[in-house]
Amino acid sequence: MKRLINIVVNGEPHEVAVNPEQTLLEILREELGLTGTKKGCDQGECGACTVLVDGKPVSSCLVLAVSVNGKSIATIEGLSQNGRLHPLQEAFVQHGAIQCGFCTPGMLLAAKYLLENRPLPSEQEIKEAIAGNICRCTGYVKIIEAITAVAHSTAQ
Amino acid sequence: MHLPKFEYLEPGETSEVVSILGKYRGQCSIIAGGTDLLVAMKQRRQTPKYVISLAKVSELKQIREEAGMISIGPLATLEEVVASGPIQKKLPVLAQAAWEVGSPLLRTVATIGGNLCLDTRCRFYNQSEFWRGARPDCFKAGGVICHVTNKENTCYSTFSGDIAPALIALNAQIQLIGDGDERWLPLARFYTGVGRIPNLLAAGDNEVLTEIKVPLPADGTKGLYRKYRFRESIDFPLVGLAAILRVDPDDGICQEACLVFSGVGSRPVQAAEAENKLIGKRLNEDIIAAAAETAAGEVHPVKTDRVNPQFKKKIVKAMVREAFTELGGVKS
Ligand SMILES: Cc1cc2nc3c(=O)[nH]c(=O)nc-3n(C[C@H](O)[C@H](O)[C@H](O)COP(=O)(O)OP(=O)(O)OC[C@H]3O[C@@H](n4cnc5c(N)ncnc54)[C@H](O)[C@@H]3O)c2cc1C
Ligand code: SF4
Ligand code: FES
Ligand code: FES
Repeated sequence: MKRLINIVVNGEPHEVAVNPEQTLLEILREELGLTGTKKGCDQGECGACTVLVDGKPVSSCLVLAVSVNGKSIATIEGLSQNGRLHPLQEAFVQHGAIQCGFCTPGMLLAAKYLLENRPLPSEQEIKEAIAGNICRCTGYVKIIEAITAVAHSTAQ
Repeated sequence: MHLPKFEYLEPGETSEVVSILGKYRGQCSIIAGGTDLLVAMKQRRQTPKYVISLAKVSELKQIREEAGMISIGPLATLEEVVASGPIQKKLPVLAQAAWEVGSPLLRTVATIGGNLCLDTRCRFYNQSEFWRGARPDCFKAGGVICHVTNKENTCYSTFSGDIAPALIALNAQIQLIGDGDERWLPLARFYTGVGRIPNLLAAGDNEVLTEIKVPLPADGTKGLYRKYRFRESIDFPLVGLAAILRVDPDDGICQEACLVFSGVGSRPVQAAEAENKLIGKRLNEDIIAAAAETAAGEVHPVKTDRVNPQFKKKIVKAMVREAFTELGGVKS
């Protein structure tokens, strides 16, 4: 049986009718058309589906849509503001931290959560924060450089 | 991989959870964080008709310090466990074990209760329905033969949770609430050692795990959690070790030693003989080596993952040596 949930996605309220078996990932992509959040493994292993629920990063493929009723969700589509890229997005572009781009939305949201809680993280802390986000292309070095660069420029 | 269809129930009280469990006995699963259950459902290892969420039972979420103990609600997320001041300060082995579970994306939703109730794992069973279909169903999946041992009607799937070893080493007690009764028992007794039905709740009776109590360790107790796995960023333990040590500050004699493993049997395994090799002694390299050798003899891993059991025993030995060298401050 479908039930109505109220969620705020990237600042905008939505009322969505969901089946219990739909995951948060499925309703973001299929009901709300927010396909920036990727489906990789669909089993909690890869982090391509990372979004922030009430500010915290989760694998949205392992979260039931019915369970986020009343919560606020941030996806990659909400990161840029007024047509301007978020500093993390800029840094990822500048540092060559994006190749195929499949991991990038999740990587950026995991990085956003990190910098909000630890504005000047160590390299180890950055690695730990993106440990659930697999990147098959970059080898992570440039991703870590990009996050470090944003941390340093914000700190100044 | 879509989830199978089910009905979702969100009771607000423990008593309601229990009565729903009784009403739909055998047809329902509890969901806490869902990071184990939803994978099992996607893989069609579990297809409950009703999924009962604990999310609205707010009393199950608290972490608080009481006289001489720390009480932890099963719904506390692993991130909350890692961040809890009292746990970091007084139960560091638990904070470390929680930190080692999965990845940060899982720890924000995965709960400590769900971790204790984690199903045992096996490479033939923890597969999608499609891959499992390459062979006849194994015993755990409802068939007859075990593909690991080629025997009938036995299952050796492996307990792979990180938190239970730490909590058993800390002498934790758990509360189970069922229809009209509630009971407290030592966490170690929660595990059956039976691969197919690994804990007291796995048979689907109408009980819920409602509280975990950990007595505060005596002054001077040290502990650590070590984990060996393929990918450090996310994987389940191939071997996990919770180690506790208390040494008399005056004469340097070991008063208390505890070693509990994950990944080497169908339940968390305590190496009692190895503990006896340490207790009452002044730790040195030889004594620790003897305990490590004994511990390797006390575990009986079965090849339910890609690691040879003999290799796991070597890891056990190395882990015990490293852990007690560090805890005991022994020069090597
Ligand atoms: C990619 C990946 C990596 C992982 N790595 C690890 C790891 O390294 N170490 C590790 O230990 N685990 C790991 N896990 C497993 C899982 O994420 C954790 O064990 C987690 O703590 C389970 O908690 P949960 O709240 O998500 O459980 P759920 O999935 O909600 O529940 C698990 C089981 O417990 C039962 N249950 C939950 N709460 C209660 C309760 N209060 N009373 C009665 N029954 C209850 C459920 O019915 C279900 O059978 C991993 C999972 C994934 C997907
Ligand atoms: S140990 Fe045997 S019966 Fe148990 S899950 Fe593995 S193959 Fe199946
Ligand atoms: S798609 Fe969710 S973790 Fe891979
Ligand atoms: S850029 Fe291709 S997966 Fe990361």
